[in-house]
Amino acid sequence: MSKTSNINRVDGFAKVTGTATYSAEYKTPGVVYACLVGSTIAKGKIKAIDTKKAEWAPGVLAVITHLNVDKPVGYQKAKDKHNFGQPLQIFKDDSILYYDQPIALVIADTFERMQYAKSLIKAEYIKEEHSTELKKAADKEKKVETDKGNDYHRGEHDGYKNAEVVFEAEYTIPTEVHNPMELANIIAKWEGNKPILYTKSQGVEGTRRSVGEVFGIPPADVEVTSEYLGGAFGMGLHTWPYEIAALIGAKKLNRPVKLVLHREQMFTNVGFRPYTIQKMGLGATKAGKLTGLTHEAVAMTSSYEDFMEGTVNMSRFIYDCSNVSTRYRIVPLDTCTPIWMRGPGEATGSFALESAMDEMAYKLNLDPIEFRKINYAEKDLEQNKPWSSKYLLECYEGGMERIGWKNRKNEPGSVKEGNWLVGYGMGTGTFGCYRSATAVKAKFLPDGNLVLQCSVNDMGPGTATMMTAIGAEITGLPAENVIIEMGKSGLPKGPTQGGSATTSSVGSAVHDSCNLLVSKVIGLAAENPVFKGIPITDLTFGNGVISSTKDSSKTVSLATLMSANKPENFEVENQSKANDEAKKYSIYSFSVHFVKVLVNPNLGKIRLAHVVSCADIGTVINQKTSAGQMYGGAVGGIGMGLMEALEIDHRFGRPINNNFADYHVPVNADIEKQEVFFVNKKDPVSNPMGTKGLGETALVGMAPAIANAVFNATGKRVRDLPITLDKIIETVKV
Amino acid sequence: MKNFQIIRALSSASAVTSISKESSAKFIAGGTNLVDLMKKNVVAPDKLVDITALDLKKIEFLNGKVSIGALAKNSQVAEDTSIKEKHPLLALALAAGASQQIRHMATVGGNMLQKTRCSYFYNTDMPCNKRAPKSGCGAIGGSNRMHAIFGASESCIAVHPSDMCVALAALDATVLVEGPKGKRQIKFSDFHRLPGNTPEKDNTLLDKELITSVEIPDNNFTKNVHYLKVRDRSSYAFALVSVAAALDIQNNTIVNARLAMGGVAHKPWRLTESEDFLKGKTISETTFKEAANLAMKGAKSYGDNDFKLTLAPNAIVEALTIASSK
Amino acid sequence: MASKKTNENKAANEDANSRRDFIKKSGLFTALALAPPSLVMASEKKWDEKIAEYLETVPLSIEVNGKKHNLNIEPRTTLLDLLREQLQLTGTKKGCDHGQCGACTVHVNGTRILSCLTLATMQQNAQVTTIEGLSKGKKLHPMQEAFIKNDGFQCGYCTPGQIISGIACIKEGHANSREEIREYMSGNICRCGAYHNIVDAITEVKEGGKEI
Repeated sequence: MSKTSNINRVDGFAKVTGTATYSAEYKTPGVVYACLVGSTIAKGKIKAIDTKKAEWAPGVLAVITHLNVDKPVGYQKAKDKHNFGQPLQIFKDDSILYYDQPIALVIADTFERMQYAKSLIKAEYIKEEHSTELKKAADKEKKVETDKGNDYHRGEHDGYKNAEVVFEAEYTIPTEVHNPMELANIIAKWEGNKPILYTKSQGVEGTRRSVGEVFGIPPADVEVTSEYLGGAFGMGLHTWPYEIAALIGAKKLNRPVKLVLHREQMFTNVGFRPYTIQKMGLGATKAGKLTGLTHEAVAMTSSYEDFMEGTVNMSRFIYDCSNVSTRYRIVPLDTCTPIWMRGPGEATGSFALESAMDEMAYKLNLDPIEFRKINYAEKDLEQNKPWSSKYLLECYEGGMERIGWKNRKNEPGSVKEGNWLVGYGMGTGTFGCYRSATAVKAKFLPDGNLVLQCSVNDMGPGTATMMTAIGAEITGLPAENVIIEMGKSGLPKGPTQGGSATTSSVGSAVHDSCNLLVSKVIGLAAENPVFKGIPITDLTFGNGVISSTKDSSKTVSLATLMSANKPENFEVENQSKANDEAKKYSIYSFSVHFVKVLVNPNLGKIRLAHVVSCADIGTVINQKTSAGQMYGGAVGGIGMGLMEALEIDHRFGRPINNNFADYHVPVNADIEKQEVFFVNKKDPVSNPMGTKGLGETALVGMAPAIANAVFNATGKRVRDLPITLDKIIETVKV
Repeated sequence: MKNFQIIRALSSASAVTSISKESSAKFIAGGTNLVDLMKKNVVAPDKLVDITALDLKKIEFLNGKVSIGALAKNSQVAEDTSIKEKHPLLALALAAGASQQIRHMATVGGNMLQKTRCSYFYNTDMPCNKRAPKSGCGAIGGSNRMHAIFGASESCIAVHPSDMCVALAALDATVLVEGPKGKRQIKFSDFHRLPGNTPEKDNTLLDKELITSVEIPDNNFTKNVHYLKVRDRSSYAFALVSVAAALDIQNNTIVNARLAMGGVAHKPWRLTESEDFLKGKTISETTFKEAANLAMKGAKSYGDNDFKLTLAPNAIVEALTIASSK
Repeated sequence: MASKKTNENKAANEDANSRRDFIKKSGLFTALALAPPSLVMASEKKWDEKIAEYLETVPLSIEVNGKKHNLNIEPRTTLLDLLREQLQLTGTKKGCDHGQCGACTVHVNGTRILSCLTLATMQQNAQVTTIEGLSKGKKLHPMQEAFIKNDGFQCGYCTPGQIISGIACIKEGHANSREEIREYMSGNICRCGAYHNIVDAITEVKEGGKEI
């Protein structure tokens, strides 16, 4: 273990003292308060909108609707195409495409007056018939010819049907909502024709591009700060209409505008994990060898944008199976567009696949782990490539030991602790390792500190801490001497935070830039008389001193060197990207969640008595923050498994539980005993550190693990998430 | 939220006097429900009368009863040593409600007056006879997982969300109120009401009346009591079904029993028939199941809440089992 | 906006009238009022709207993190919005604004409460402690130290509420076991799912026995 492998979160001090500044918290002189008024119908047109009372209310500065908006120039340009990042053009016209779609922006001088004025806006509508229920809209199903949308076949189409043992089932997941604790928020202002945004974005560069496109200005003229994000889990991957609305308002008033969504609007206006119906078909020999696997998914999207995710992808490669078919369809409904939510696609897909694997294991009378081992994939059959590294078996073993798998009985309901039925279950997760081109500047300051700059965000996983650890490791400096500057445009271009790619992308760039910086410093030092006659390859740099590996008495301090040279000699900006070698391999992270549940069948109460989350994520850069991320992913999966579901009253097309009292997410009391286990073996090709990514796979596989454990405890198979008590309660025997 | 005037009352009498002058005036104490409703524009008073300065916070053990001031905080009552000793059922029910932060703010009087959590009541875009009489009931034919299985009407199937009140119903409490026409007492079982054709009325409090205290007569329910709350997560959630069970057991025989349920009706639902059945019986699973069965007479579900027809009797059996084994 | 206000507009006049009515009615009550007596004068003398608006505020004297503030606020201002928007103390967070998440938890007179459901005007002379009031310069409160050491957070947004709540949890005597801590910390939602580490941090502070 290196000395940086367990450092505390570098932004910890700011976060525990309340000094970490989230977007709407920037002190902005003259800032005024804005909010969005939403439509009360799900589809139709605005017939009339009465804004007069609001306009005349005390302190109101402006009310903007489709009738009086100065439309951004980009609205014309993007008329007929899917405009990624800014699909719903706010206030463009009178059309209503979903419930709570913004129809007006109210701006007032104080928060309270803004809120009151909002209540005075009244609209009349011409209603059209809406469609918000996936199960009743199958006729609108469509196939989109893209990588994600194309059908996939390996071997015989739907070959599972010809197997000795055939299993088929349908699984559904409801709409789930990201709901980070921090509300979506922005402070927007203009300096001349240049917008300045403090906003909740997972990608500063993406926001610059989207905003630039809408307002017809070069992305370089858009200034974006998104330094601290109070979570996002994917909802910060779009530039949403509320951000454009704030910019429109700020432009009209020529004043900074602060807009914070209400929690209710977080359910209706900033994306969600889409309701998805999946059909699984599995075929196997009696001995348990998979011979066919078909995975079909139908997911909802909005009426104005085709959202797709890799729901069926995992089924193509995770098990050794020669006949695989996958199909993916989307259905446009009258809602806001979905957006990737933690473990996008795979979290949904793994629920169906890993539940079906469990069901098939029972059918074959095999231990679920044994069944998976029989079908262990030695290589990626989808891409026909070797794995770069795969320690999935180690995850199985680590989890079995920790959860006490030996206490599991295959017969459901056969293990008891007091009055509780005991069940054990597991679910496999995976997520691809991606790496995108990333620039990082590394520079030494005269005081000996190392500065690392990148425009990437840190929405919570510990990106800054990871950068610090890698920078400190390479330069030999204590972590306290590393300063991170991030989450702002103008810094060297970093990636969007998402897809578990941040450490792979940014960490590699930090790695490369720091190595280049060290080489540069050694090169300068080599010219120093002290090292006369010593080959440059014998010089080393560590903790602010350049020394000879052969003669430790010969040293030159960085400070000395810096006093004799220009500052720009002590900085390096470099862009790193994946090398071609990586393309020869299939690179994935793997996870396995194990749970032990206690079930009271009379009340339907499910307790998660023990949760063990194991992962092969390559090298673990920081044990502490990685464990935190794994614990958190597991908790997210517990929410998905046991309680999260956005309910819609389809008569009105409106959600009925769009608040934190009725949309349940796990609370502290739900999490009894949690453990995390990392294999922690370096991947030889993924990137210089050998990491593979964690954020997504930390959640993937948890929901089926719970469903499988509940079956083991009760004999009740729940194929519709979440597993609420009404689905497993037993009739009282009187 | 619209702006309003707020005045601070220094006595119950002046509180009542000052509220009587404004038709839309409201008393405010903990504010945990009222401020929430005001933010949602479900209620919009012109005037608030802050009653937190009134001397109504005491818990007093008097001859044959305990008197709990209407302004005593939920956490104060839940953690009062004497309450825990003499009325443990009440302490358990209070501790099961909301979160500790909210229990520190919410008062006993306010808890009794809290509004239903029905989503249709809270969303002003939705039909709701309770919020907007004659607009219809959204929950019937809509989403009704949380809703009533007892005593509902065609106008309203909402439930009262309180935990505390379920225990108070079981413990035969009395509500003391003061109004423009003076002071009076209301039996707890008469305090909350069924919706009928006027679901806008949650209780029998008259206009401008102020709750001053709640009294619980002494009892023998100090040991074999349990408050069982069944909900969608382990804490900080409203009850789908809750059961307050109190037994006076001597020599394995039930001398006296009290049972009430929450989350099943427009008011805390007292199970007197089951109580009577239990009296004199020896403790057994069969007895408890029969008592539970009696309790379910007349139950009716509305779709999403069908499971309550199973859950409710199971919860009664579970609560009685736990209470009897203490 | 100013030019529009010269237009004849029925709705707006009604609105203005209703506000004057409000001011007039304010003079009728007999109990001790928090509203200033000048409201009556404003209505009688038909002062300008602007002044009337100003007079819709009430005085508030409140101590936050040891600092006294004498303010004029609207009665509808919540303690949370007062802290964040007027006193610039943004360490206290808004997560739901309806008492459903715990991010806005502060200590009022030593008790943990939700500032989003608290009308600031009802906190006359109260002593409020927010996350900003815990540390003494660089010297952190033991609970803050424990949260860092045990990594009791990720994004940090629920953290101030968790820390404030965690301190109270111990002081109330509800931190005697992990199970009890979990129950009494359930009013603070953490969407990053740092519960395991939050319980570690609180347990460590409780067992450390330092004065908190």
